Amino acid sequence: MIVKDAVCPFCGCLCDDIEIEVEEGRVVAVTNACELGTTKFMGEKRMKNPILRDGDEWKDITYDEAIRCAADMLLSAERPLLYGWSGTHGEAQCVGVHMAELIHGVIDNTSSVCHGPSILAIQEVGHPGCTLGVVKNRADLVIYWGSNPIDAHPRHLSRYTRYAEGFFLENAFRDRKVIVIDVRKTQTANVADEFVRIKPGGDYAVLSALRAIVQGKADMVPRTVAGVTKEQLIRVANLCKNAKFGAVYFGLGLTMTQGKYKNIRNAIELVSELSRHTKFTISAMRGHYNVYGSNEVNTWMTGYPYGIDFSRGIAFYNPGETTAVDILARKECDAALIVGSDPAAHFPRKCLEHLAEIPVVQLDPYPNATTAFCDVQIPVAVTGIDAEGTAYRMDGVPIRTRKVLSTDYLSDEEVLSRMYALMQEAREQ
Amino acid sequence: MKVTLAMKPATKGFIPIEAESIVPKNFLSDTDLSVWRGNRELRLDEAFEISVEGDADRPEDVEVVLSGETSRLKRVGEYMDGGKITILGGIGMHCGNFMSGGTIEIQGNADGWLGREMSGGTIVCRGDVADYCASGYRGGRKGMKGGKVEVFGRAGDFLAENLAGGTVIVHGDAGDMAGAELRGGTLIVHGNCSRPAANMKEGSCYVYGTARGMIPTFRKIGTVRHEGRTLIQFAGDLANRGKGNLFVKDYEYLD
Amino acid sequence: MTELLVKNACVIDPLQGINGEVMDIAILDGRIVEAVSDAAEVIDARGMLTMPGGVDSHTHICGTKVNFGRYMSPEDMRAGRTPRRGAMHATSGYSVPTTYGNSYRYSVMGYTTLLEGAMAPLEARHTHEEFTYTPLQDTMANTLFDGNWSILEAIRDGDTKRVAAIIAWTLKAVKGFGVKLTNPGGTEAWQWGKNVTCIRDPVPYFEVTPAEIIRSVVEANELLHLPHSVHLHCNNLGTPGNYTCTLGSFGLIPDLNPKRQTLYATHVQFHAYGGSGWKDFCSKSEPIANYVNMRPQLVIDMGQVMFGRTTTMTADGPMEFNLYRLHHDKWSNHDVELETGSGIIPVVYRRKNLVNSIMWAIGLELALLTKSPWQCLLTTDNPNGAPFVKYPEIAALLMSKRYRDAEFETIHPDTGSRVPLPAIERELDWYEIAVMTRAGGAKALGIQDLGKGHLAPGADADIAIYPLKIDEVDPSAEYQKVIDGLSRTEYTIKRGRIVARRGECLVHGSNATFWVAPKVSDDYDMGRDPDFIEKFDRYYTVRMRNYPVQEEYVNQSRCIVTEAEL
Repeated sequence: MIVKDAVCPFCGCLCDDIEIEVEEGRVVAVTNACELGTTKFMGEKRMKNPILRDGDEWKDITYDEAIRCAADMLLSAERPLLYGWSGTHGEAQCVGVHMAELIHGVIDNTSSVCHGPSILAIQEVGHPGCTLGVVKNRADLVIYWGSNPIDAHPRHLSRYTRYAEGFFLENAFRDRKVIVIDVRKTQTANVADEFVRIKPGGDYAVLSALRAIVQGKADMVPRTVAGVTKEQLIRVANLCKNAKFGAVYFGLGLTMTQGKYKNIRNAIELVSELSRHTKFTISAMRGHYNVYGSNEVNTWMTGYPYGIDFSRGIAFYNPGETTAVDILARKECDAALIVGSDPAAHFPRKCLEHLAEIPVVQLDPYPNATTAFCDVQIPVAVTGIDAEGTAYRMDGVPIRTRKVLSTDYLSDEEVLSRMYALMQEAREQ
Repeated sequence: MKVTLAMKPATKGFIPIEAESIVPKNFLSDTDLSVWRGNRELRLDEAFEISVEGDADRPEDVEVVLSGETSRLKRVGEYMDGGKITILGGIGMHCGNFMSGGTIEIQGNADGWLGREMSGGTIVCRGDVADYCASGYRGGRKGMKGGKVEVFGRAGDFLAENLAGGTVIVHGDAGDMAGAELRGGTLIVHGNCSRPAANMKEGSCYVYGTARGMIPTFRKIGTVRHEGRTLIQFAGDLANRGKGNLFVKDYEYLD
Repeated sequence: MTELLVKNACVIDPLQGINGEVMDIAILDGRIVEAVSDAAEVIDARGMLTMPGGVDSHTHICGTKVNFGRYMSPEDMRAGRTPRRGAMHATSGYSVPTTYGNSYRYSVMGYTTLLEGAMAPLEARHTHEEFTYTPLQDTMANTLFDGNWSILEAIRDGDTKRVAAIIAWTLKAVKGFGVKLTNPGGTEAWQWGKNVTCIRDPVPYFEVTPAEIIRSVVEANELLHLPHSVHLHCNNLGTPGNYTCTLGSFGLIPDLNPKRQTLYATHVQFHAYGGSGWKDFCSKSEPIANYVNMRPQLVIDMGQVMFGRTTTMTADGPMEFNLYRLHHDKWSNHDVELETGSGIIPVVYRRKNLVNSIMWAIGLELALLTKSPWQCLLTTDNPNGAPFVKYPEIAALLMSKRYRDAEFETIHPDTGSRVPLPAIERELDWYEIAVMTRAGGAKALGIQDLGKGHLAPGADADIAIYPLKIDEVDPSAEYQKVIDGLSRTEYTIKRGRIVARRGECLVHGSNATFWVAPKVSDDYDMGRDPDFIEKFDRYYTVRMRNYPVQEEYVNQSRCIVTEAEL
């Protein structure tokens, strides 16, 4: 059986034109997806049932036992941490928020190690952006700053920018210019029309210089800025001002470099400045397929996109204090629930040292790095394969991921709802 | 009146305690206050050994002294409008949040967001301060609006971010992005720092040491004499159409 | 079977012509009935003012741009936080509350039905998700068509029936309720950084004018027999002198519908400006109101500005950019491919600011100068003019000349020479306020036949009981009592259940969403139109199969099927 227009649950591109061939309850072929997506769809070796740590070994337990164990663990904590969320559907994320609110804990998602800085910048100066189709159909200038889509978002170029067809571009490939700005010549730089190499840590200075040049103050900019010649800066500024529609996409190269959110803020302010001359937009290359979804859900329910602390009853937001990496590094939580993410694979060592000391429950279809730190792991269905639910693309467009086959696994939402029900019962007594 | 709060040893690992009830004026009534460890409410006497000497009828006459392992005690002095708080060791985040009067003195180091959004009063820290000292809150245009913060040690990153009024002095080095988005008031760093006064709109920033990673969109005006020092004056941040003044002893571009 | 009896209610129900009659209201299984048995639970309203639940015909509460407003303003979100308590979840937010915040605050104020002012079809799923978390009000969404490529092309080709067919397909697909035009043509021009300056200005590339868009879409709306008329946010919002554009737009509208207006023009305060620049900015509420008075085919809403901080958010991208240039604060923009756009900026309306003071006066003038309250409804274009929690203050201002004069003393001293407000003596009464806040909204939206906005047997039992005795309060003098009374119900009843009582919400709630599904013949089914399908999959970045909003997103579906003339 072939399922058409399936939605890929891997990266922020959220491609929804995937063709999946299913035979005997397994995915046997994938068409249109990139390697990352294909690997996800074809994934094997899922955990069979919930497991409980018993000394040095693992014991198989039932779903009910696992869910009850998790509920008890979280209820008795003084500062429980509910982390992850970007690898699951929105309906589950909503339950997570209700849960954090009930047990007076902290809920945070992977933004805090990824595009959190982008969000902080948006909170300072706003976000002049658009959906991906606007760029596809109009942009004659695309800038990738600190982002290497060929690597992390392989179909971004073909679906939305360099190789995409555009309504207003007769010969899209020729009519569009692509500029890549990075600290080293990436694969994407090889297909760009112009490459700007910045000294590490120099993005902020370059952005300031560009803003001044766009304002007509080129004379006061030094001869080189962070390794970039003034001549090249002026050329880039002119390309921007002369574009009919410019789109900037930035990635971790900008968010994780010194200054973090200040870099993004400066980039946004450059785009706002350019908007006085022509049409310009900027957007973040969100990594996980539903990390933006966790921001959206958290925001409409609590007011804040990530790092929300309910310890005191009201929602309190302060990245650097209420974010998972900081809380774990400072040993400030006493239990953790991990959903749709693999923190042990990404977090600093200091965080993992504490994770090893506290009770941890994880909801994940596969054994992963975090499994080693868990007391309980509950395997769940994979959103987009055997579970469906809402995901938000990197540009905010919500698409419903589809179920392409059925299994006996419960979805994240089902497991969390049961857990939440137990917690509500306990609290009522 | 002198209230001494000796912190009892922590029973629950490192879970921070929020103590926004520790402001001088709250002790005028009595010591029946609460603090919070995570989501658990504790009586003040569960977290501290309390002793009170003398009495007072105005906050100005109340001094609160904190001793013991207080480096994870948060929000002490929040909304303080008079009186004195002395912390013998280090102090946790958000000390002196929204302060409008009185004095806080910290003998040790202060964690993040010291004096956040303060509008008056004085904070003195003899040790180092972490990130966001004397800054504002996420999304807000204006941070500290008045008062004085003086740090004898070093400061972390984003010192005095969004400063809109008052004075901030750091005797040691400051970290990255000191005085970012400055729009009023005065920031003085005696030591070195990185990328001072980025995106500044108005106000004055002094660096008596070296400004590394100098923002390229400041226009050099000339040299001036200021309190016995020769400093180079810059106007900017022109990228932000800023009309502030940045004075540095030395500077280096990242070019 | 649940029965409820509200005794001794002093009822004002304009759709039934009831004005201050003390009576009992019987409710069975969520609907008003003639009588109930003795087993019914009884509430004694003790002569308190009782009206149908409030119907807000234009508010921004759910969806992409609303969430942008929250997301980008943590400093707004922290000003108004409540913890989880009883049946109520934690809430945050001042001018753009979280969805639970919106729902509880509206419920406490007695509102039970809300229309989301603008929903981009591509992102409709988001609006519906947020509707689910606004559980104490029934909801519906205005669907944006102002920059829709297929429609612009159909208008260019003079094919009104195709316009109607596209609207039909889209409304059904995204479970939308009404047809919304925001700065028609302007949102498409803005995707090139441009705008249209008025209704005769052609849209780049498509070469149709806003006037053509408005006329064609109005006609198409009537071909589809939709419950609501076209809902228009005129071009040129916020610009000095824009009243001529507004009158020009109004002048395009024929009288095509005997049951309701043919055009609903929203937040007209922002479109009633005279002068040629900020220096001679003045009120033109008089010509606008006079025009509306002579044309039953028009209904407007106020879009009242109140002083203080708030967040502006509209689909009118270019207007928001210009506003950003004036205010120098933060600015978000979100253009939606092939469809529309949006912009969000926080603002402060200040008494010391002459322009803001004039704006404040204009909203009130429109309500006072429009003779029939059915033609001018009470809104703030929440949160653009002010957060909706200020509605009681606005009602009080409309009911009391004394209050207006007292406020007038506190605003910019030169305001009096620019606005007619000080000379207006009219004071609205309870009946007129009831029209402007419930009956008129239900009628304009075309939902009175669906049981909203009135208390006749068969209606949904959505009732608001306010702690006000209308023969003991003189609204002209005791305006503070009016404000306090209208701010917090004794009881808010939603489909027969008490959902709010004296400021507390008592249940989690389970709302219904109204949407329309116009029935068209196969020839006009865009789902089978090869041109439509081909262009869709070629230029959108979402597949046509994945575009429609699935059943799962609508909690309790109230689908209105209409017979289209196609």
